[in-house]
Amino acid sequence: MSRELHFDTLVVGGGIAGLQTALDLADQNYQVAVIEKDATIGGKMIRLSKVFPTLDCASCITTPKMAASAHHENITLFTYCNLKSLDRDSPESVTATVTQKPRYVDPDKCIGCRQCEYGCPVYVPDEEQGNFNLRKAVHIPFSNAIPQIAVLDMENCSLCGKCARVCPTDAIDYFEQPEDFIIHAKTAVLATGFELTPIDQKPEYNGGKVQNLITSMEMERLLAPHGPYMRVIRPSDGKEPDSIAYVQCAGSRDKTLNVPYCSRVCCMYAIKQAMLLSGALPLADITIYYMDIRAFGKGYEQFYQNAKAMGIEFVKGKIAKIEQADNQYVSLRYEAQEDGGRVVEREHDLVVLSLGMVPGWTPQGVCQVSCDTDRFIKSSMPQIAPTVTDMEGVFVAGVAAGPKDIVDTIAEAGAAAMEASKYMTALGKQKAA
Amino acid sequence: MSDKKKQADKEAMKILRQQRKQSIDRVRGAIKSQNKDIKSIKDALKDGGKTVPEITAATKMPSSRVMVFVATLKKYGMVAEGPKDGDYFKYELIDA
Amino acid sequence: MSSNKKESTSEPRVGVYICHCGGNISDHVDVEQVAENIRKIPGVVVSHTNTFMCSDPGQELIQEDIKSGKINRVVVASCAPSLHELTFRNAIKRADMNPYLYDHANIREQDSWVHHGDPATAKATTLVAAAVAKTKRLEPLDPIRVDARNHVIVIGGGMAGLRAALDLSSRGIAVSLIEKSPFLGGQAANLDKLVPTEASAGDLIKQLAQAAVEDPNIQISTCSQIVGFEGYVGNFKVTVQTHPPDADTRRQIIRGITSDKSQVGKMIPFVGYFPSAVPTSEQTRIIDTGVIVFATGFKTYTPRQGEFGFGDFPEVITLPMFIRHMAQAAANDKHLSFNGKKIRRVAMIHCVGSRQIPGIHEADENDYMNEYCSRTCCSATLRAAMEIRENFPKTQVLDFYRDIRTYGRGQEDYYDRASESNVLFFRYEPEDSPLVEKNSSGDFPLKISVKDTLTFGEEIEADVDLIILSVGMEPNPITGLVDMMKLPVGSDRFLQEVHPKLRPVELANTGILLAGTCQAPMDISETCNAAQAAAVKASALLGKGYVELDPFVAGVDLAACSGTGACVDVCPVDAVKLKPVKINGEEVERAEVNPAICTGCGVCVAECPHNAIDVKGWTLKQYEDMVDAIVAA
Ligand SMILES: Cc1cc2nc3c(=O)[nH]c(=O)nc-3n(C[C@H](O)[C@H](O)[C@H](O)COP(=O)(O)OP(=O)(O)OC[C@H]3O[C@@H](n4cnc5c(N)ncnc54)[C@H](O)[C@@H]3O)c2cc1C
Ligand SMILES: Cc1cc2nc3c(=O)[nH]c(=O)nc-3n(C[C@H](O)[C@H](O)[C@H](O)COP(=O)(O)OP(=O)(O)OC[C@H]3O[C@@H](n4cnc5c(N)ncnc54)[C@H](O)[C@@H]3O)c2cc1C
Ligand code: SF4
Repeated sequence: MSRELHFDTLVVGGGIAGLQTALDLADQNYQVAVIEKDATIGGKMIRLSKVFPTLDCASCITTPKMAASAHHENITLFTYCNLKSLDRDSPESVTATVTQKPRYVDPDKCIGCRQCEYGCPVYVPDEEQGNFNLRKAVHIPFSNAIPQIAVLDMENCSLCGKCARVCPTDAIDYFEQPEDFIIHAKTAVLATGFELTPIDQKPEYNGGKVQNLITSMEMERLLAPHGPYMRVIRPSDGKEPDSIAYVQCAGSRDKTLNVPYCSRVCCMYAIKQAMLLSGALPLADITIYYMDIRAFGKGYEQFYQNAKAMGIEFVKGKIAKIEQADNQYVSLRYEAQEDGGRVVEREHDLVVLSLGMVPGWTPQGVCQVSCDTDRFIKSSMPQIAPTVTDMEGVFVAGVAAGPKDIVDTIAEAGAAAMEASKYMTALGKQKAA
Repeated sequence: MSDKKKQADKEAMKILRQQRKQSIDRVRGAIKSQNKDIKSIKDALKDGGKTVPEITAATKMPSSRVMVFVATLKKYGMVAEGPKDGDYFKYELIDA
Repeated sequence: MSSNKKESTSEPRVGVYICHCGGNISDHVDVEQVAENIRKIPGVVVSHTNTFMCSDPGQELIQEDIKSGKINRVVVASCAPSLHELTFRNAIKRADMNPYLYDHANIREQDSWVHHGDPATAKATTLVAAAVAKTKRLEPLDPIRVDARNHVIVIGGGMAGLRAALDLSSRGIAVSLIEKSPFLGGQAANLDKLVPTEASAGDLIKQLAQAAVEDPNIQISTCSQIVGFEGYVGNFKVTVQTHPPDADTRRQIIRGITSDKSQVGKMIPFVGYFPSAVPTSEQTRIIDTGVIVFATGFKTYTPRQGEFGFGDFPEVITLPMFIRHMAQAAANDKHLSFNGKKIRRVAMIHCVGSRQIPGIHEADENDYMNEYCSRTCCSATLRAAMEIRENFPKTQVLDFYRDIRTYGRGQEDYYDRASESNVLFFRYEPEDSPLVEKNSSGDFPLKISVKDTLTFGEEIEADVDLIILSVGMEPNPITGLVDMMKLPVGSDRFLQEVHPKLRPVELANTGILLAGTCQAPMDISETCNAAQAAAVKASALLGKGYVELDPFVAGVDLAACSGTGACVDVCPVDAVKLKPVKINGEEVERAEVNPAICTGCGVCVAECPHNAIDVKGWTLKQYEDMVDAIVAA
């Protein structure tokens, strides 16, 4: 028999949307379960360097929300879990089957001391660092991960037994199996976020083949305080770049990629990264190739104008082709609109693709909720109650409901919490009547 | 832990290793080549700090692979970033 | 709350925790050196550093030292206390120590971000040493708990206000909705079909407004304004004045509608939803409330006389004027018509009154400039352009833009459809804005010219019949309320939240929240999200029945107080009163502080001739010790 647990609300996804929803519900005294597929909560935001428009370091404003959720007496976190199914069985109840993936580390025993990680002899590319450096087969995801519990990557484990020997609390268990458990709740909030469009999606950009052509998320890692190199250098050979370029709309507003919509944050994160780069590398030339600069949020236009004033070069033109040039440079070809429309070729040390956002999860086969033509979860009242879906008592927040930045995500998370609490108040009233 | 339990665990480990033989062999192969690369990078640094292109020249490894290992050795405290030489940083062995 | 007696009486044992903040601090301050220096101070038993003190491992460091009994005072040196003071206070509370036996040294904003090298390290040492000195003198304190009224006042009856009112009511909170006009719906009433759903704005307004009117838990006061305000979170006293609709520009229409009883309960296009008869006499009442939600919305920018020909030529109009015209325009013609004239070609100009750049654009008479993007106008303009093209195929549309910002879900479709329906786009740089002139010859009244960057800077000139200006948003003028309640306003003149990510719907004034476009330009979806986020905050705040306030308020030492009343005279918020008390059988007056009102400003401390009043957590003695520590360093 699977373990059965009861909550008021089940939140799927422990990114900033899911956490804010959980906090807003828990503060109203609802019992909340958050399930997260990764080994740590925090979503994309905890992996960013600094965030526009305030340029606060991402850690500084994500960790308090992560810690607040972890310590809230009304919130229970389930990390490293997959959602197998989510169904509504009556107006009062949704039921979810959740799989706890094996960590091969007993979470109750692990004290996060990292002895296993230091002991492990296997080096594996660290996906948390854009694969720019290596981690161990057993490791803690990163220094501000919550929970601070090690995960063993069985695919890359040689079962040498070293970690089990050095673990001071005997937490390693090579025999752990996936385990299903059941969550019953009255409402659910889907906050499953996004993934970036694949880097190799546009053949003419040669993503994945050209050296020093990286994704925007990888640049976040290069700029982050705990990045792979702890500074910005070229991944191909460690050269400190003199010229860095951004290719905007590299995965968005493009019908051929099936991403016709605007991903809404790429203009702003490119400008942000450009500003951070000009701080880190005052001598470097930074160029942003764009179609339209979409700096529409509060204070964003001013942020854009500041970047221009700082000397960041904005070139209006769609990049047609990207190729490897000599000496591991990256060559860009485009039609210069502001320069008589001639075709220009320019070389840069390091080029960043501002990839688009696609849904982080598809409900198909797991849950009855509908998606829109953009494949993000559909809102049934997009204007007056954007977080309401077509599944009763199931709400959506954050990028799961379409691309948006953190500010808009947080507002929407509050809205989803409001809808969920309204639903539950109404249930309570019906019961009383 | 009782001896009996220890024995049972050992048996179970044996079976598990059997089951995972293929992936274990692959991982062991990877460890070997990693250790070789790490050693040649460390050797290259024995006579003083070097930039990635210099290590690349000395080890004949692809420069991007050198970069990955240098970053990793730095993270685990075996190598430190030294002074800048032109556009490149030199990396030095710690306690060598 | 368990304020452990031991904590105050036993010898202070201070734990100091210094944060690297990734590299934000440690790149400029030698944090290890600071820890080393601080360790030497008597009373400091622990001096640690950590990459991210606010992370879980960081917080646990403090908690372990408390639990093991090593320390009974905490100093954290990291970023500005506004970010994390609460984080650490909560961590300390969870470790069963009084959370006010803690002080915070800001070595990031006040040090590593402005100084470098040795001076930065020296300053950090000084700041931390001062905090240690203060901490040694700290006493355990308890937060002030005040009862909170389960009631919210929502100011403004637009989409934001209606949305928030309905949500609050469904959570069992009584709501007073205060709207200054006789109608509900706000600016959305001036719209027709909406981006991105093509829903009718009137229908949406009606849906929300009707529900609000029918809700017994929501009391709607139209023609009402707030004229008085006092109190504090949980217990605000708000004076509301209701008066017959006054003579504004729409007087005629309004008089027509409001005198007609049959209009009650109807949505009147381009006016609003008429919820109830208007008052015939002036009336003032006081409402007690726990929380106030601002939903005062925006007004559209009015172009200056002559801006793109506005005011000079009748053929230059704003987008809202045009939306209204379109809603009534017959769709059976091949040409759009306006003022009885056939419109063969229309030009639309984006960013009018938005995205203004100092040095390029002109400031207004108050020297203000709208530097922000108004966010909704691009989509609304393209929607209008597309509608013209689709309904009046012979009317040409020229669109002059800087950037097309169709960012939201479903918005890019409007751009695509506008392009597909042959709207002609021209892109201009702000320094080369389009020029609108009277046509001296030919049969078109106006001429527009621009340097078009889409055709590589070519000078384009076109004859047009009509020009539509996409005017942006400005906050509604609420200076009266801002001054009365001392609300923070940003440089863009919109109300300013505490922090866009940490506390996005809260004003610095505890218990006053923000919803919708009074904070920044937003479309209706975003407005409703923001309103719901504000409602959930209010619900959490009021749910417990009480609110807790920081105990940093003035306290009177009755042994020293002689009842001079000096404090009463200077207190800017009337938090101190003289009260009769019996001392040794004698009836005398002594000062008494209302902790819920006191803001802890400390003016009284400076004034008291007998040093009989002090602010808890910031006492004179603590200051003296801090100064000593700074001088000694
Ligand atoms: C390069 C880059 C830079 C950015 N910079 C900024 C910036 O500076 N400022 C700003 O405001 N915004 C920025 N953003 C946008 C920001 O990242 C998003 O707004 C924010 O992360 C959205 O949060 P979310 O919770 O909706 O989604 P996510 O962060 O994607 O979180 C979703 C979570 O759900 C989990 N999940 C997904 N599916 C499942 C499932 N089936 N079961 C369980 N868990 C699941 C995921 O693992 C993840 O933890 C940036 C984005 C990118 C790509
Ligand atoms: C030209 C144009 C086209 C648009 N098109 C679209 C569209 O297609 N789709 C879309 O989603 N959005 C659109 N919008 C945006 C939309 O209008 C706003 O998002 C929405 O109206 C904001 O609602 P609100 O409640 O925040 O503010 P408002 O609608 O401004 O409501 C504020 C209310 O508060 C009242 N008030 C103000 N001050 C006081 C006071 N002191 N005391 C009491 N009451 C007060 C006002 O009378 C008003 O009723 C458009 C905007 C413009 C300008
Ligand atoms: S939304 Fe478009 S028209 Fe409006 S200010 Fe922003 S860029 Fe200009």
